[in-house]
Amino acid sequence: MNYIIDVNGLRKEFKSHASRSGLKGAFRDLFTRNYSTKTAVNGISLQIKPGEMVGYIGENGAGKSTTIKMLTGILTPTSGTVSVNGMDPHRDREQFVRSIGVVFGQRSQLWWDIAVQESFRLLKKVYNVSDAFYETHMEDVISTLNIEPLLNQPVRKLSLGQRMRCELAAALIHNPPLLFLDEPTIGLDVLVKLKIREFLKKINEKYGTTILLTTHDLSDIEALCERVIMLDEGNIIYDGALQQLRENWGEGKQIQFVFSEEVSLQTLQQLTAGYLVVWEQGDNGASWTASIDDDEDIISGVIGKVVSSIKIIDLKMAETTTEEIIRNIYEEGAIRNG
Amino acid sequence: MSYVSIFFQYASQYLKTRLTYRADALVEIISDLLSQAVNLIFILVVFGHTSLLSGWSRDEMIFIYGFFLVPFALFGAFFNIWDFTDRYIVKGEMDRILTRPIHSLFQIILERMELESLFGAVTGIVIMIVSASQLHLTFHWYDLFVFLLLAFSGAMVYAGIFISLASIGFWSDSRTDIMPMMYNIGNYGRYPVNIYNKVIRWVLTWILPFAFVGVYPSAYFLGKEEWYTYTYLTPVIGIVFFFISLFLWNKGVTKYRGAGN
Amino acid sequence: MAKYIEMIRIRFLMMLAYRTNYYSGILIYSINIGAYYFLWSAIYGDKGSIQSLSIGQMTTYIAVAWMARAFYFNNIDREIAMEIKEGKVAIEMIRPYNYLTMKMMQGLGEGIFRILFFSLPGMVIVYFLFPVSFSAHPLTWVYFLGSILLSFMINTQINLLTGIATFFLFNNAGLIRAKRVVIDLFSGLILPISFFPGWAQTVMDYLPFKGISYIPSMIFTEGFQGVQIWNGLMNQAVWVILLFLPIGMLWTLAKRQLIVQGG
Repeated sequence: MNYIIDVNGLRKEFKSHASRSGLKGAFRDLFTRNYSTKTAVNGISLQIKPGEMVGYIGENGAGKSTTIKMLTGILTPTSGTVSVNGMDPHRDREQFVRSIGVVFGQRSQLWWDIAVQESFRLLKKVYNVSDAFYETHMEDVISTLNIEPLLNQPVRKLSLGQRMRCELAAALIHNPPLLFLDEPTIGLDVLVKLKIREFLKKINEKYGTTILLTTHDLSDIEALCERVIMLDEGNIIYDGALQQLRENWGEGKQIQFVFSEEVSLQTLQQLTAGYLVVWEQGDNGASWTASIDDDEDIISGVIGKVVSSIKIIDLKMAETTTEEIIRNIYEEGAIRNG
Repeated sequence: MSYVSIFFQYASQYLKTRLTYRADALVEIISDLLSQAVNLIFILVVFGHTSLLSGWSRDEMIFIYGFFLVPFALFGAFFNIWDFTDRYIVKGEMDRILTRPIHSLFQIILERMELESLFGAVTGIVIMIVSASQLHLTFHWYDLFVFLLLAFSGAMVYAGIFISLASIGFWSDSRTDIMPMMYNIGNYGRYPVNIYNKVIRWVLTWILPFAFVGVYPSAYFLGKEEWYTYTYLTPVIGIVFFFISLFLWNKGVTKYRGAGN
Repeated sequence: MAKYIEMIRIRFLMMLAYRTNYYSGILIYSINIGAYYFLWSAIYGDKGSIQSLSIGQMTTYIAVAWMARAFYFNNIDREIAMEIKEGKVAIEMIRPYNYLTMKMMQGLGEGIFRILFFSLPGMVIVYFLFPVSFSAHPLTWVYFLGSILLSFMINTQINLLTGIATFFLFNNAGLIRAKRVVIDLFSGLILPISFFPGWAQTVMDYLPFKGISYIPSMIFTEGFQGVQIWNGLMNQAVWVILLFLPIGMLWTLAKRQLIVQGG
């Protein structure tokens, strides 16, 4: 199999020192220090095929950024092997980075004081992109991202959303087959987010660009990625299809009833005695939620029984959101076999 | 070579930015001139109380200072990365640098260059010409090339020391006062080293070889033959120290820990 | 007041945290003093005294000038400039303290750290390496302490002025550097004021700089006697008071600028 990213037993440890508290502690720190080793990434393995869009998620400090930095050649792994685009990112750094694009949501790639256009021109030189290629390719990128009007402004005058679009364009100047995005939508408003997602989809389709994305915003992942990799305390706890994650962890359906009058738990339990239902009271005696398995017979059965004997004002079906699923996974700490 | 064309690309961007903030560039040049004036004043005041300093006359001292300004200006224009740890390690700008296909040190030199420092070289040359005429020095046609070689070597010495110091940042991002203080020590190279005791002379020659930026190369033009061995060593020391620093830098990059860790 | 004292403590602790700073500092200060010692030895040659300072007094002068510099020196001008550029000053302004006082207190915390951890051990080293003589009169030490406190004030006030100037200049790194150079020369750090030609000394009488280094160092080396000490201290005190004026004015203007530009 030909993988664009092939990582085996990747590990990164950081040595850090713990400061002692208070004035006395600080004095002691002058002479001896407590060193401790923190494992940020604990021997992970992952393979990504060309053209995939993969979401890389995890809580703060789970090791996401550290992994991305090792994959992009910024950090040297403590142990393990990394092959990205067929190269060792750190050893062949200068050659390697020509084949990737990187966007850090919280760090600008562009030069603060000069116009966006000038930044692009500088990067074009840096990546040794030919004039002909630059013109056709960038024209496309610029028009898709709709940043023509921004090109003559200095970066410091752009809003966050405008800047992020320019950052994306800058990362694509050399049309890399692989794009790393670290929190690309952080702090952006919904419209800009949508625009950026649309754009990413488009370049993925058009150029077959492989995209590895870390984000806090799961809606990004839902919109873009078929595959997610979940990281917790430096270990991969889930690697697979987003859809499957939902199915295994979706925990069935919830039906919210609002009745025209107060109903007792006993009445409801008697009504649905033939099914496995957990009833929970809502805001008042007239609103109840039934949690059931995601099965069409059960769903129609329960609704039928209830509706036929009690008058209802409102009825809502709710599916567990991805966010809830992920919260559940982290709370339980490990993944259930699916 | 593409590095050359990238250099000019950056330089032209730099000039554009600088021209937008002309007043600041002007203040910077003036402050450079001021600092050069202060150093000259120091020499002049000192020679108001003595006529010879361990065998060196006032005009010779001034000539050494003038020469020193040339490599120092080259250093200031391209290798003045005293805030490297703060800017690139602590604030994590190094992340960005490392995602680009150019040698990391070269990128930082491009980003941090301060071309207005080159005015210092002009001042230095003027000072040298004035004191040389006071001293009635004579030059050969090839002395120009010797001068260029020695000045570049001196700049390499300076660059080597400061790049080595910057590399420490890869291992420890603690804030240190080493950089600013090193400027002070660097200044001792512009006084004749024979005024110092053996230990300091040795340090200034072999450990922090600032003597190769000022007094040793100047000795050649001043015709002080007893120092010629050191004059000839200048390019060697420059290359050796520069390569040591490159080695340390490349080693350091593999130890980079990233921001926020 | 408690919050300002807390600030001194915090800054002190911060300095303690940077231990490489501490080790290298002593070494480098000693090298600095040493280099000037040799330079001055060469200048003195076999002269017994220049401008009524003996070579012994001169050595002590250099040593104590650098020691005092460790105390009064700080980078708050650069810090202010950075905070202005990064827009942090606007946040600082809404905090319940006076920004400038806070900066001064940070400088004081740094100064106390440096004098304890750089200068004192550094002086011990210098004492064994070079012919430095310390005064036996306790009163000299008291005058000296008072004098370096005032020199801290003057230097910090000048730093505040250059820092605030960032509001009006886009990039005032040049100004900050120029200021440092001027202070090194005109404060008497590298050259006692009495070595300058007469006319230059007259000019410097009208400038605040000699209160930073020359006056405390002369007191310590007992180059100043009797009424000269009191004149020196008075000169410093007057400058401390006078410098509040331009700071206040510039700060008021700067705050107005901040409102207009929004940081």
